[in-house]
Amino acid sequence: MLLEARDVSKAFGDFRAVAGADLTVEAGEIVGLIGPNGAGKSTFFNCLAGDTLPTTGRILFDGADLTRAAPEAHARAGIGRTFQVPTTFDDMSVLANVMVGAFLRHPHRNDAREHARRIVELTGLRADQPARSLGTPGRKRLEIARVLASGPRLLLLDESLAGLTPGELQAAIALVRRIHQMGVTIVIVEHIMEVIMTLTRRVLVFNQGRVIASGTPEQVVRDEAVIEAYLGRGARRQRE
Amino acid sequence: MKKLLAQPASGQRVSVWLLAAALVLYPLVFSDAFYRDVGVTFLLAAISASAWNIVGGYAGQVSVGHSMFFGLGAYTPLLFYTLWGWPPLAGIPVGILLSVGLAVVIGLPTFRLSGHYFSMATIAVAELIRIFVGTWALVGGAIGLQGPAMARGWWDLTFRGDLPYYYIFLAVLALVLAVTFALERRRFGYYLRAIKSSERAARSLGVPVRRVKLQALALSAAFTSAAGSLYGVKTGFIDPDSGFGILVSVQMVIFAALGGAGTLFGPLLGALILVPLQTASNTWFGGGGSGLTFVLYGGIIVLIARFEPGGLFDLWRRLAPHLRRRAHAA
Repeated sequence: MLLEARDVSKAFGDFRAVAGADLTVEAGEIVGLIGPNGAGKSTFFNCLAGDTLPTTGRILFDGADLTRAAPEAHARAGIGRTFQVPTTFDDMSVLANVMVGAFLRHPHRNDAREHARRIVELTGLRADQPARSLGTPGRKRLEIARVLASGPRLLLLDESLAGLTPGELQAAIALVRRIHQMGVTIVIVEHIMEVIMTLTRRVLVFNQGRVIASGTPEQVVRDEAVIEAYLGRGARRQRE
Repeated sequence: MKKLLAQPASGQRVSVWLLAAALVLYPLVFSDAFYRDVGVTFLLAAISASAWNIVGGYAGQVSVGHSMFFGLGAYTPLLFYTLWGWPPLAGIPVGILLSVGLAVVIGLPTFRLSGHYFSMATIAVAELIRIFVGTWALVGGAIGLQGPAMARGWWDLTFRGDLPYYYIFLAVLALVLAVTFALERRRFGYYLRAIKSSERAARSLGVPVRRVKLQALALSAAFTSAAGSLYGVKTGFIDPDSGFGILVSVQMVIFAALGGAGTLFGPLLGALILVPLQTASNTWFGGGGSGLTFVLYGGIIVLIARFEPGGLFDLWRRLAPHLRRRAHAA
């Protein structure tokens, strides 16, 4: 087992954004995480990445307890993540952005630059372009490149494929496949069912802070509780 | 540097050598005491603004309390001289060590704050130190301390003319810029700029943000302290306001911000513009001119914040391609 999150909760005051969520991920999987807006997916992600300290529960990565560890410790352990709202280093070039990630496993500049160049090529970006001049799809791609350069074993993608045109989407799906083939385990939060259907074998559905269903994408979209979570009570009945 | 000057590499190197040559020759060409004094003042301002730039510019942690390190650097050699007759040269490293220690003590709690809150916390600490020093008789209270009136040897760093000071200051400036240049190109420099842009993203990539910020502050404090020491031994006199006063901190911020915070030569450029301006206003308006300096600084802050947050270097970087194109067309 690569990642094991047990009974994770996060409360903001009285509001429980994540309420006893469980997730286990085997090495080599691509797991999808879906759910309506406000279901607590991003908060759960932040707990997994060490960005948010869970109120209760434990997070084990490769046997080590990372529940209370800082985000940089998560990165060092091999958990990489992207952000829902892309946070690229806008004053730097694409290559420099990716180098910041590469420095984690390549402390010397020339090694880091060489490694970063390969990653930039793989992701189809232009090395000398200023990050500032990228549009949203470019930024999301850069975020993926940057975290990939840091050498993660587990990659948490938080809606990295949202807001892309159909063409860009196909390219992005291909990129995620490539990354997976490189041996990186992936957990992906996504609203676009096409992405989930094509990339994942196993999907967890989040609602009101907990997992309400899991299974193959085909099973999950037919699940009564899932339809209800997305469309409201009685949706199934009206449709029939 | 590559980031600084959007020009071919050879062009950069030429401008740097030209600048270095100009700075070395300046006091020989302008041998008048007044011009040499302006030169020394410029160098001192450039050193402290460049030192501030490491943490305030590159790492984006805008300290407005760097006078605490400047003052500590200025006071320590003069205090040790007053108490035990130590040569100022021996007090300088002690001042640097104390400043680095202070940087760690101050940095640990204040780096929990970000943005304006960090800036305000640094102001508060520097002001507390200024007030405390002003009431502490051992360090001269409100009157301050004096250095050696007559040199017992070169190690007293007490010279008649400005020329020796000028070249010592120039050497220290070269050291600060060389260290900054070396760091800029290494992992540490990349980490600083990443932190400035987004701490959260930097941490997600494994950047030990708090440690890096603390190291940047410590290094910045060490150089600022050295600048303070140079000021102390050159002037031969220090009091709470000239060492720990808020104007000392504000000057570093303004010089760096005007030229371009987070660029290698930005602070130097800022000092190159503002020191002569300040000297001119002091000469023309006499003692009343010091108030005018504040007015000028206020105006500059407003203009930079509103129109050019990147400073003049950034402006030039954006304009240079257009100007070159126009030159080609003509």
